[in-house]
Amino acid sequence: MATHLQILLIRAALALYVASTACAFTYLFSKDEKWSRWMLWLMGAGLLLHLGSFGARIDAFWQIPENRYYMPINSFFGALSYLSLAVALVFFVVEREHRLGILGAFVLPWTVVGAGAAVLWADPKVEGLVPALQSYWMSVHPVVLMTAYAAFANAFGVGVALLIQEHQIKSRKPSELCYRLPSIEELDTLNYRIIVAAFPMLTVGIIMGGIWAYNAWGRFWGWDPKETWALITALIYAGYLHMRFLKGLRGRKAIYVSMVGFASVVFTFLGVNFLSQLHGYLSGGG
Amino acid sequence: MKLSLVGVGHKSAPAEVREALAVVAAERFYEELRRQGCDEAVVLSTCNRFELYLCGEAGGRDQSWAVSFLERLAGVKLEGHAYARRADAAVAHLFEVASGLDSLVVGETEILGQVKTAYETARRAGMTGKHSNVLFQRALYVGKKIRNDTAIAVGQTSVASVAVQLAESIFGELSAREVLILGAGQMAELAARHLLSKKVARLKVANRTWERGEALARRLKAEAVAWESFAEHLKGADVVIASTASERPVLTREIVAGALPARQGRSLFVIDIAMPRDVEDSVHGLEHVYLYRLEDLEGIVARNLESRGGEIERARALAREKAGEFCAWQRSAAEGREISLKHARRARGEKAVS
Repeated sequence: MATHLQILLIRAALALYVASTACAFTYLFSKDEKWSRWMLWLMGAGLLLHLGSFGARIDAFWQIPENRYYMPINSFFGALSYLSLAVALVFFVVEREHRLGILGAFVLPWTVVGAGAAVLWADPKVEGLVPALQSYWMSVHPVVLMTAYAAFANAFGVGVALLIQEHQIKSRKPSELCYRLPSIEELDTLNYRIIVAAFPMLTVGIIMGGIWAYNAWGRFWGWDPKETWALITALIYAGYLHMRFLKGLRGRKAIYVSMVGFASVVFTFLGVNFLSQLHGYLSGGG
Repeated sequence: MKLSLVGVGHKSAPAEVREALAVVAAERFYEELRRQGCDEAVVLSTCNRFELYLCGEAGGRDQSWAVSFLERLAGVKLEGHAYARRADAAVAHLFEVASGLDSLVVGETEILGQVKTAYETARRAGMTGKHSNVLFQRALYVGKKIRNDTAIAVGQTSVASVAVQLAESIFGELSAREVLILGAGQMAELAARHLLSKKVARLKVANRTWERGEALARRLKAEAVAWESFAEHLKGADVVIASTASERPVLTREIVAGALPARQGRSLFVIDIAMPRDVEDSVHGLEHVYLYRLEDLEGIVARNLESRGGEIERARALAREKAGEFCAWQRSAAEGREISLKHARRARGEKAVS
């Protein structure tokens, strides 16, 4: 029953995300503020339904005694659902701080991708956690990491906007879009601020994983592909921060590095499932 | 209410005729008009047009009276240069003027302020009544609305304002930014004044002849710096405006590249309005450096003007619609069953249906 409810709600949320993203793209090319308002209202409504869907999933998850009271982010569906939820939440935080509704077109597609992949390809059914995962770390480790991933997705969107703006101004023939996008310096600062906020989450999330691994498997680090790739991601973003902070490298080149970092995030989240025995959502390892 | 309008504009009259009318103070017109038994009138006088709006009894007089009245005060012949409108056509004309549709640069916003000033001057002189008050306040409202609802005012149409807009696309807020001016030419001064209206944090002027640079710096309340040290000041500047009379480029790729490490990746916006060029074109290829030459800025202006074209018809239709609303209100007031301007729209709507 609760499974039906979560599917119904996430489908409705996905529809609203699609509509909101459409408004965001319309707003990119129309100066009418109403599109920006519609984008936010639709996204907000989608977010509420999505929260409802996630709540229904938790409820279904906790029906199984050994799962109480852990977060249901153990499966591909749970992870994608939480990830897209977090992307939308982080977007609202950024939007509240900066009032850059125009960035919706660059960030919100990720909510559609995340929720869409969950609806289309992932199995929403809930199962009992294997004993190794029955730990309070289950409620912290993936949550912290995926929130960081969601923030990186936002930073990626900001980076795309910056590359477009930079290209516009270098071209010497800026279009109307150039005056609608935030300035190069603003986008650069925003990209940096999001990564600065997300990087500690990523680091802490990885360390938590290590502690959990020590408790569960008796070793802190085992070069499991997920661990390796999470470390690679962290190193790329550390490189970005190092260049920004110490070398004063900004603008286009810094954005390229952060984008490589995001590609590594995507691979860590998706690609590694095919490689890792311990972290594979798809291989059923948990 | 009877309304009539007589005017000369940039399309109908040569500059000498417009100037002869422009030099006469509005107060002088009002004084004379009152002597002639006319107590409700507004004079709109700008460098591109002169218009006299007559309301009340004088608005019903023959328009040749108004023409000869103006000829007498300005001391020029208006024959063949003036245009005249009455009643609804005069209202529509005023709304188009306020919307910038009759301006040399379509959609320019200055005219709206000029209409406002003209109306306020007339009101202070005691030359407005109920109808002219509503008419001019309505014109100001329509002027604003048309600029908001259509794209006639989208995009900057002067080189200096395009430069400022680009600076904002690079830096956002300009209030913490530093501007360096090379040369003390007129164009540099104009661009700097535009940037100053955005209140930049610091403005420096470097000129080969110290005295001229210092004079410009004083006019702009800027800081004069030695010409020899401009490469040093490049490190702190965000916007550079180059307009020296030099025969060879003064800002070479080498000089700009030399300043970049100290800039820590901050963007540098270089505007070259000198002829011959002041800045080597290869500077544009440097990371974080954006070089715009005069023709780049002019190209943007030309494209902005072009894209306004299609919107003009839409704006004109809107101006006519609003004029119709106003006239419906006016008639209802004359018949003693005054409806609000909002109702005027509905009344017209109903008529259109039946």
